[in-house]
Amino acid sequence: MKIDFKINGKPTSIDVDPNMPLLWVVRDELKLTATKFGCGQAMCGACTLHVDGEALRSCSIPAEFVAGKEITTLEGLSKSKETTDGDLQLHPIQQAWMEEQVPQCGYCQSGFMMAAAKLIKDNPNPSDDDIKNGITNICRCGTHPRIIKAIKRAAELQNQKP
Amino acid sequence: MSTDTNKKAFSRRKFLQRGAIVLGGSVVASYLGCSPMRRFTAQKAENMDLPASISSFQPDFWFEVLADNTILLKSPKIEMGQGIWTGFAMLAAEELEVPIEQIKVEHASTSSGLIDNINTGGSTSTASLYEPIREVAATMREMLKVAASKQWGVAIGTIKAENGVLSSGNKKITYAEIASSTKEWDIPKTPALKPKSAFKYVGKSVKRIDLKPKVMGTAKYTMDSELPDMLYAVLLQSPYIDGTIKTIDTSEAAKSSGVIKIIHEGELVAVVAKTFYAADSAVKKINVSWNTPNKTQQADLIKLVTVGNGKEVNVQKEGKARSIIEDNQAEVFKQEYRTPMATHAQMEVNAAIAHVEADKATIIVGTQGPSQVRDMVAKALKLKKDNIDVHTPLVGGGFGRKATKGNFVEAALISKAVGKPVKLFNSRQQEFQNGVYRPNTHHVLQAKIDKNGQIEAITHDQATPDMILKTLLNGNDIVLKLLGSDFISAGHGASIMYNVPNKATSVWNTDVPVPISIWRAVGMFPNTFAIESFINELAKKVGKDPITFRTDMLHDKEDKIAQRSKKVLETLAEKSAWKNQKTESVGRGIAIANDRKTIAAAAIEIEILEDKIKVKKVTHVMDVGQSINPEGIKQQVESAIMMGISAALHEELTVKDGQIEQGFFSQYPLAMLTDVPEIQVFILEGDDIPYGVGEPPLSPIAPAIAGAILDLTGKALRSLPLRLS
Ligand code: FES
Ligand code: FES
Repeated sequence: MKIDFKINGKPTSIDVDPNMPLLWVVRDELKLTATKFGCGQAMCGACTLHVDGEALRSCSIPAEFVAGKEITTLEGLSKSKETTDGDLQLHPIQQAWMEEQVPQCGYCQSGFMMAAAKLIKDNPNPSDDDIKNGITNICRCGTHPRIIKAIKRAAELQNQKP
Repeated sequence: MSTDTNKKAFSRRKFLQRGAIVLGGSVVASYLGCSPMRRFTAQKAENMDLPASISSFQPDFWFEVLADNTILLKSPKIEMGQGIWTGFAMLAAEELEVPIEQIKVEHASTSSGLIDNINTGGSTSTASLYEPIREVAATMREMLKVAASKQWGVAIGTIKAENGVLSSGNKKITYAEIASSTKEWDIPKTPALKPKSAFKYVGKSVKRIDLKPKVMGTAKYTMDSELPDMLYAVLLQSPYIDGTIKTIDTSEAAKSSGVIKIIHEGELVAVVAKTFYAADSAVKKINVSWNTPNKTQQADLIKLVTVGNGKEVNVQKEGKARSIIEDNQAEVFKQEYRTPMATHAQMEVNAAIAHVEADKATIIVGTQGPSQVRDMVAKALKLKKDNIDVHTPLVGGGFGRKATKGNFVEAALISKAVGKPVKLFNSRQQEFQNGVYRPNTHHVLQAKIDKNGQIEAITHDQATPDMILKTLLNGNDIVLKLLGSDFISAGHGASIMYNVPNKATSVWNTDVPVPISIWRAVGMFPNTFAIESFINELAKKVGKDPITFRTDMLHDKEDKIAQRSKKVLETLAEKSAWKNQKTESVGRGIAIANDRKTIAAAAIEIEILEDKIKVKKVTHVMDVGQSINPEGIKQQVESAIMMGISAALHEELTVKDGQIEQGFFSQYPLAMLTDVPEIQVFILEGDDIPYGVGEPPLSPIAPAIAGAILDLTGKALRSLPLRLS
């Protein structure tokens, strides 16, 4: 089945089995590999991306669901506009993740960042409890304490922006 | 300066087992420092309490000056989150006199000639390369200087190396320029290393060098790698331990769309398709029934792993502990502890990409032991080792799991069968049910207290299956021979560290019908839980503060470990405000461990909320010897605290009818954001050499939590995970 959608701002059309999980469309067909496979059962959040602004676990969404919709993956989270020093203008979440040095093995981080980007958009001043209860992704390296700090820092950065 | 007269370019092959320097495109020098094997053996004799996967010998690595004046370090050790690449870059930058940003690190592959023969594990990577990396870096810097002095006709003493540039008077040349314009190299004797006081990087916090790709999503793991024309394979595996095929019908699967081939060779069953989805959908259509020869039940495992069963190995004997305990049974305080089976649950599942051609093979695999992968694939394909090229991208978590069997051999066999590159990875259920596990353990501790409330005699008996001999990637024959038996890994941390006149420890080794392997902190984890829980109970029994009770037993001035441990405990008392009054709803507990000379201790505060144990605050103090990257160490400590909470409160793997009962994350809960306590981390430097930091901070967590529960409720919980009822 032919499915049309936008991904990271780019109009895209693919011909796949309508039931193929979105995760594999993004990773294997479109070669956007920041979005990860962790369980395939909507239990770990490694595959989190945004569809029309909602943070969803792409391993458990069929490809046909995104027809006509807009997808954002970690690759498209920061604005593509180059700043004067040639650096990408980082999304506050990525900026904060750098500042707090969150990643260890790094494998779960894309999913966490996508979930966190959605969280601070909906809740510009999240408390520790909002964060703890709002994100149920899994990280085996134990980066959790830094994730909480980074999300609070990202919210600050977001609020400072004009 | 004295130099070797040997000026010819060395062949690559000669230096497979050493560090090498690459200048102007060819290997020009090798590291011939003190025999690592000798060092290893000496270390073994000095400290019998060895880790599971020994990795402190044969450090193989590779430095190369690239055209853009960056320096490439090919790492023989695997980065799986520990931050070792950053530590290596710091050590190299220190002696090369280049900014750390100018150093790139990537994994060595077998085609670049230098990979470690030993698994990455045991928290020894950075510590074991602390000297070799600096020595090779310093040698390379001197070689560049000698070359410049010849080119310029100036005395070597006038040349300065700074920021990757050599200068003398107003002459300047970059490392890359001198490397490309020099044909013959003089190889100096290893120069003296910088004194500690001159360190620019070592001991100061540096940002991880792998941060940006991991934040931007460009970091490549095995799961993200591909080869041209690659197909996808999904393996059919029995969910039963030792299960074999009884009946199988693949006809429906063969008709499934996108399927290219169904492989059925003996017990190897796989579907190969154009996409993962097609292969995965087809494999679900295979009709199969299993022979289930393994009927193990949880109760069988508990019974098998019980002190008194199996082969007893004495690992510690001082004074007359056994006879004192035996002769005074009426007065002896005795308790038993148990830890459960557990799984690694690393986030990146085992994955491999294989391309097998007529007489060679390429394997891309996330592993802790690339060299062993090569051996195993060579054997399976009946090819020469040298014709197997193993590449390791970033590894999405290991914790010991990737030091054992993966699916790389299967991937190779499948690729051979279809004649194309093939990607194969586990489902999460396969990770749970076709894995190798941390074994359950049983501990009996006994102590006789004298009239002053001091321990007069103490014994510890640990029952445990072996953790490495059966499942660790093979190829470590030398290590295994040296270690003799696995009591060293399982018994790791079994000995009593306190200055007690009479102490004895035995490890009871048993075989269990479940695949067993190492898990972060290996033997330290169960042993520290048992010993330190017992010490907490003893302190309560004699009415002493648990910190004072311990420091009183660390009085031997000659015992360096005891003195460092005492300092750690004193720091812990101060930083955790241990003497302060606590609120009534809070329980406090502590524990300490000496993990191969890294001393780690934690003071933990808990509360019980709605019948659930809630860790509120963790104060962690660790003496690491010489610290390399304090911020990196802090990351490891936080990581260990979270994994410790996870193991203490949530994790338990069980077996029923020969099958691991848990197949999903929902059945095997891990620590989540809701488990995050307030955390304070303090690092002490009680020695001049760096010790490991990846595993040591983990083991005090569980017994400190148990100690806090004891403090709050008066109840001693003696098995993990800790449950109130
Ligand atoms: S891979 Fe989608 S939630 Fe785990
Ligand atoms: S950083 Fe490794 S799983 Fe989260």
